[in-house]
Amino acid sequence: MDKEKLNNEKLNKDLFVPAKKDEAKREEIRRPSLSYWQDAWIRLRKNKGAIFGIALLIIVGILSLVGPHLNENDAYQQDLGHSRMPPRVPVLENISWLQLDGTKSDEFQAATVEEAEQKALLRFSIDDLEYVEFELVDDGTGSEPATVVGHFDVYAEQDMDEIYYWFGTDTLGRDIFTRVWTGTQVSLLIAFVAAALDMIIGVAYGGISAYYGGRVDNVMQRFIEILIGIPNLVVVILMIMILEPGVISIIIALTITGWTGMARIVRGQVLKLKNQEFILASRTLGSSNTRILSKHLIPNTLGMIIINTMFTIPAAIFFEAFLSFIGLGLQSPEASLGTLINDGFKSLQTNPHIMIFPAIVISLIMIGFNILADGLRDALDPKMRK
Amino acid sequence: MRKKNWFLVVLVLMLSLVVAACGGNNTGNEGTNNAEGNTEGNNTEANNAEGNENAAASDSEQVLNITEASQIPTMDSSMATDAVAFQFLGESMEGLYRLDENALPIPGIADGEPEVSEDGLTWTIQLKEDAVWSNGDPVTANDFVFAWRRAVDPDTGSEYGPFMMNDVIANATEINNGEAELEELGVEALSDTELEITLAKPIPYFHSLLTFGTFLPLNESFVTEQGDDYALSTENLLFNGPFTLENWDPTGEDPEQWSLVKNTNYWDAETVQLEEVNVSVVKETSTGVNLYTNGEVDRHPLSAEYVEQYAGTEDFRSLPEPTLFYLKMNQGTEALANQDIRKAIAMSVNKQDLVDVILANGSVVSNGAVPEDFTMHPETEEDFRVINGDLLTADQEAAKEHWQAGLDALGVDSLELGLLGGDTEVATEMDAYIKNQLEGNLEGLTVNVSSVPFEERIARDEASDYDIQSSGWGPDYLDPNTWLEMWTTESPYMTMNYSNEDFDALINEANNELLTEPVERYDNFLEAEKVLMEDAAIAPLYQRARAYLWRPDVQGVVFNPMGADFSYKWAYIE
Amino acid sequence: MAKYILQRLGYMVVTLYLIATFSFFLMKMLPGSPLRAKEKLSEAQQLIVLEKYGLNDPVPVQYIKYIGDLLQGDLGISFQMKNQAVTDILLNRIPISAQLGLYALLIGTTVGMLLGIAAAIKNNSWVDYSANFVSVIGISIPSFIFAGLLQYYVGVELGLLPIAFWGTWQQAIMPTIALAIFPMAIAARFMRTEMIEVLGSDFIVTARAKGLNETAVLFKHGLRNALIPLVTVMGPMAVSLMTGTLVIEQIFSIPGIGEQFVTSVMTDDFSVIMGTTLFFAFFFVFIILIVDVLYGIIDPRIRLAGGKD
Repeated sequence: MDKEKLNNEKLNKDLFVPAKKDEAKREEIRRPSLSYWQDAWIRLRKNKGAIFGIALLIIVGILSLVGPHLNENDAYQQDLGHSRMPPRVPVLENISWLQLDGTKSDEFQAATVEEAEQKALLRFSIDDLEYVEFELVDDGTGSEPATVVGHFDVYAEQDMDEIYYWFGTDTLGRDIFTRVWTGTQVSLLIAFVAAALDMIIGVAYGGISAYYGGRVDNVMQRFIEILIGIPNLVVVILMIMILEPGVISIIIALTITGWTGMARIVRGQVLKLKNQEFILASRTLGSSNTRILSKHLIPNTLGMIIINTMFTIPAAIFFEAFLSFIGLGLQSPEASLGTLINDGFKSLQTNPHIMIFPAIVISLIMIGFNILADGLRDALDPKMRK
Repeated sequence: MRKKNWFLVVLVLMLSLVVAACGGNNTGNEGTNNAEGNTEGNNTEANNAEGNENAAASDSEQVLNITEASQIPTMDSSMATDAVAFQFLGESMEGLYRLDENALPIPGIADGEPEVSEDGLTWTIQLKEDAVWSNGDPVTANDFVFAWRRAVDPDTGSEYGPFMMNDVIANATEINNGEAELEELGVEALSDTELEITLAKPIPYFHSLLTFGTFLPLNESFVTEQGDDYALSTENLLFNGPFTLENWDPTGEDPEQWSLVKNTNYWDAETVQLEEVNVSVVKETSTGVNLYTNGEVDRHPLSAEYVEQYAGTEDFRSLPEPTLFYLKMNQGTEALANQDIRKAIAMSVNKQDLVDVILANGSVVSNGAVPEDFTMHPETEEDFRVINGDLLTADQEAAKEHWQAGLDALGVDSLELGLLGGDTEVATEMDAYIKNQLEGNLEGLTVNVSSVPFEERIARDEASDYDIQSSGWGPDYLDPNTWLEMWTTESPYMTMNYSNEDFDALINEANNELLTEPVERYDNFLEAEKVLMEDAAIAPLYQRARAYLWRPDVQGVVFNPMGADFSYKWAYIE
Repeated sequence: MAKYILQRLGYMVVTLYLIATFSFFLMKMLPGSPLRAKEKLSEAQQLIVLEKYGLNDPVPVQYIKYIGDLLQGDLGISFQMKNQAVTDILLNRIPISAQLGLYALLIGTTVGMLLGIAAAIKNNSWVDYSANFVSVIGISIPSFIFAGLLQYYVGVELGLLPIAFWGTWQQAIMPTIALAIFPMAIAARFMRTEMIEVLGSDFIVTARAKGLNETAVLFKHGLRNALIPLVTVMGPMAVSLMTGTLVIEQIFSIPGIGEQFVTSVMTDDFSVIMGTTLFFAFFFVFIILIVDVLYGIIDPRIRLAGGKD
């Protein structure tokens, strides 16, 4: 038995045929060939955060285009009778913690509950308490003064039950919903154009400066130092004087000094990379300067470039807001997120809704850009390939 | 508290950030740090409580804590040009006269009323003998002579000197132009306590003019000794007013805080009740409101956003002032040379909404070229505004008719006009509103707003480079002339190419033949304003008031229509 | 090294001279004068006042005089604060802003770096996500809103810290935090990016392989290499902090140079604007020099004099 078994297991040599030796196929790449960008896109798709960021930006982008047409109000139409109306949204007005029910609320303290309630008349500038609901906090019998919270239904008092201002109105009675999305358009336009210009100029300048080094670098860096040394505020004032105040002069003013940051970062990266072995290898293989810059150095600094650009965009939006703050921003009645936030900041303690909505939109844009930037960084970095 | 939920959401986000940040920072010694943090927190709380107690106790101690929106640009009375400078000059210095609560001049250094010659040209004033400077020197007539000469001396580079004195004091203009010697100025010390002033022409309002900061005395030996250093800080100043200015040093450790301390050497020291007025520069309204809420300051101006919250409370005070805002319409342009077009513009802005909603600080609608509560008719003692009434009111329907008539006369169906305005927040908001009102009521009109910094606006104004300009004016002396003379054809302020012979004749007569006839002169002004408004030369908008948070127990502060905004001389804390 | 620094100092002087010249002529193109009551004065009267400030001279004469004064440290007389020397006005304000800026920079970058490192080490964990969240919030909310909220809640509602002014250390806390948020967020993000990259590189693998303990790997090898781009961004950040102080200083009523700058812009006080501009320029050129020197210390591979062809 055993032997037979062994015999059976004894393999017949005929079963084996030598494999064909095909030298050409041994090095064949079986996986599909992917370009750098295809590869990046595949990895970007896998990053849930980045997809969320893109989605967020797309939604904000679409809203900024569609939003101004979603209701019949336009961004400039004023109605002082509807000044500073609180936000009110159909359906959502029934969910009290959202506070989208068109009421203004405040806390009142006095010796007795009645006196506290009377204070509401002055606060809301009304004659009777018909439209005010009170919530008792402290009845004043203890050591604390009587405290009530009054909710004043502005829409009912104004006899505007049919009207809904989704984000409320500002001092001049303009619809904040429409203004926020109109302002988003303007802010995004300013930020994108300024960031794109910064990137183009900065990358070219920084790359050339660092790559050629020596005297070229020296001259170019001195020039940057002079530019950076002048506070951009001064340049902006000049721009506003020479050009008419507006979107274009703000973009120019932002760009004139803005690209220097990018140039310095690109220069730092290129300086770090240019003496590394793969550059030496490429040069040995006879690559031209342009090829080394555009195919090796710049792609390797892309992560930094993108992240820096993602900072340029919020910086541009904020700088525009800062310009409004010192009175050099967009001209009335044009709106941008920055001017809207600035206007709202003044009434933060009395009518917070004027600032909150543009602030939320700006935050959404920032969050979108930032997580997208992270995803892009991971996707664009060849070293992350697994 | 529902309203505040918004804050809470944001605050929680913020705090989570701070907590996360701190957590990352000192994971190693979190325990000790936290303990430290707690005790520190308690300490500050204790400090705060102490501060509050102090504030409470100080009420009876007659200490007032106030804010200013900017630093004092100068304490040199010859160089002062703005409200803050005149404010603190007014408190720390005493001129010949001082405005009382009814805006009437009462004697300061002067001993009694002036003696005026029959032609109204020579004023003789006796001085008090017991008035002294803070270094002990007596205040003499020569101190006035020195100060006034200094103000018109071209080497001084004063702006208000020539502005206030040229064509008022004899030879001031000539001296300022370098055509006469300083000694020829029409002011002379007859003795240490007797001053003789010679005027260039009779000035009916000269008495009230003498209360103005530019006419304050200067101690000659001290100012000469200090040279260029004069008035650079408290140490380079002498005082003779109800208070002395302490700790003021724009180049010192804290350039933004100073105080007024009761001057015991002041001739009327027994009237002054406040011991101390502490001043801090606070530029942000929200900061000032927070400081007020915490009891750290007793007064802070309010912006429109906060009025809603405080109007009607006992802390809220609205102080009207005689400052007018209006639209200047450049009649050098073809469209605005048309009276119907101007009337249409002047009548189509809803001024009531403007003052109620946008300004919301107690400002009132203005329908003339002279403010209310400014001057009274010398005979009937009726207010200028009451006599002349509303001359140019908002009336959208009439505006539309005028507009159509104007367009027909011009032979066009649409117009495009520029609106030049300031770049402050109130100004831009107001201009946006005016644009909206004009375009909404006047069909075919396009208004292009340009908001520019003050200097730029003045530059364009002087070059008559505007269509419509949103502008304002504060008075320089208590006389209707300060509001009307600027609209004459030859006036240096006439940049809008308005010219009306009747108007010019009325003003000219008032400032020459009628100078010694107060009643007829006043009637001339009344008549002139009617002419001006009938032409709709300017479109009046509103008369400004200022809203303040003001501790209710602060009493007796006098609000002046010109010069220093407030007088604390008679103020006290209940 | 000493020669290099000397050479750079030479460049610095040239740079500052060019900036002074450039901004001088910029100012000449803008309207603005020491006249504070311009609308009330006739042209002749205006000229008399301008004479005192030497503004009636031809521009080249003014320029030569300005540069001459500048060499002696004289920045002229303020247009707004009559007779006060610009140098004196600025000198007392610079230390206050420098102090505030330095606190914020130190706290901001330290906290930011630690956040970034933590996020990089625990890449894609909840630590990473929360650090990311914090830095996103930090750059999404303008510092003045944060300052306003802090002031109202911590100062008024809780009464824990003084609302405004400058002097005691308690008064420094809120403005410092408000100002530190932005550099913190930037530092955290840069640090995270760089650390992830560095931690994936070969020399870290080598360091780990040869048995170095993790702390040494992270700080001796990782951090040092990750610091380079952070240093490049610190320079501009320092200046943005200095200018950024102007909003914070305004809100907390701090008498610093940023607050002065806003005031002088608002009042067209050109001599002070010029002085502040020059100060910011000097400060920045100086920071760039330091950054470049630091570069060489952190990364010896970078040749200070620029690469060779």
